[in-house]
Amino acid sequence: MNHAACRNPVFCLTPPYLLRRIARNGSPAQRETATRTLASDGTFRSLRQATPPSRAPDAGVRGVLEPEGRKRRTIFDVGNTQNLPGRVARTEGEGPSGDAAVDEAYDGLGATYDFFWEVYERDSIDDDGLPLNGHVHFGVDYANAFWDGERMVFGDGDGELFNRFTISLDVMGHELSHGVTQYESGLNYMGQPGALNEHLSDVYGSLVKQYLLGQTAEEADWLIGAGLLTENVDGVALRSMREPGTAFDDEVLGEDPQPAHMDDFVRTFEDNGGVHINSGIPNRAFYLAAAALGGNAWEVAGRIWNATAIDPRLKPDTGFRRFARLTARNAASLYGSGGREEDAVRGAWEGVGITP
Amino acid sequence: MRLKLKTEGGFASFPGLQGPVEIDTEGLGEEEAAELVRRVRETRFFERPEGPGEPPPGAADLRLHVVTVEEGARSRTVRAYEPVEDPALRALIEALDAQAREIRRARRGRGPGGGPVGRPGGNVPP
Ligand SMILES: [Zn+2]
Repeated sequence: MNHAACRNPVFCLTPPYLLRRIARNGSPAQRETATRTLASDGTFRSLRQATPPSRAPDAGVRGVLEPEGRKRRTIFDVGNTQNLPGRVARTEGEGPSGDAAVDEAYDGLGATYDFFWEVYERDSIDDDGLPLNGHVHFGVDYANAFWDGERMVFGDGDGELFNRFTISLDVMGHELSHGVTQYESGLNYMGQPGALNEHLSDVYGSLVKQYLLGQTAEEADWLIGAGLLTENVDGVALRSMREPGTAFDDEVLGEDPQPAHMDDFVRTFEDNGGVHINSGIPNRAFYLAAAALGGNAWEVAGRIWNATAIDPRLKPDTGFRRFARLTARNAASLYGSGGREEDAVRGAWEGVGITP
Repeated sequence: MRLKLKTEGGFASFPGLQGPVEIDTEGLGEEEAAELVRRVRETRFFERPEGPGEPPPGAADLRLHVVTVEEGARSRTVRAYEPVEDPALRALIEALDAQAREIRRARRGRGPGGGPVGRPGGNVPP
């Protein structure tokens, strides 16, 4: 077993569910250490894998050593080519590889799997334990990450404007969630449905990070891709869900084009009708709902949005207004009609110029 | 020969990275120009389908490359989603992308050797 990444013996012996609790509720210093341990150390997972479960899997109760669903991760190293899949660099239960991109992808996909399982009881992308395949070191100076319908692919960035794309946890959350959308609503990747597809990936991506860090809606940074831009860039991230349009203003990258209100909806043929631009509008609505409700965003606002994402009434061609209406209906059916939850959701959409 | 590359979309979709970057081989050194022309020939650019074809179902954050080549009276635009399957087309896009990066670097005044680098053959509209 590889203990090289384990610097704090206390945390090294703490089961992951406790670490998560510390990461959520501990003192700031404890939280930081626990979060770092969770993020950088695969020791627990390999320990759990190497130890037989204390109960038979069909005992009906999850064993302490098996607090999560069964995730099956494989990380491939594409070796700075574009020839997928590349060579296997780390499989489920193996210790850290020492390659930062490999280990970040492994941990990021793990954190995303755990988030879906622990919070929404979803078992992977297809809710049926689909193996998670992450591919790193794709291309040369490749400044993108994508979901190709089967796998998540991450570039190293060009080093000038972008760091490696695995550096930010929400990037893995974002890409994996495109798979969830593919298996659920199948939102078309075009126009308003496409912007909603992007929006859901940003929501889940941000919630994965907030859940791991134990941050309330108020404490969270609501940024997508924080840490991804190098110091050469005047910007903090790729997008801001709290203040769309403010994530960067740079002489080379340009100005963050995201609108925060329907009045500023961008009509364009580029980027499949601006799917990465107009997602700012529902992103801001989600933030407003989460902020109005207070506490942990994944608990109430996230639950309402997740119920909407898996709602059969969400169709591939659903636009903003119908999506907004579905979130209000799901708020009502989860928490009661006319309750503060439904009010918060309706108010949030009205705040971005959409009447549900 | 005049070449143009535009790149749309992607998880990190930035207005400043879309381009288009435009290269006129007349403004390049002889060797560099010959290499670009050779790369265009290798793609059989004027005979190939305009694309981009359908991306795989469910796919997201794929960038779309739009390449235009003008030569004499001929002009053609070819579109391709990433990952670009054809190695010749991929190599051409990478060569144009490398030019775009040098132009951007020059704009920031951080060229190799510290000083701004001029790219007589290329420009990115502000
Ligand atoms: Zn996306």
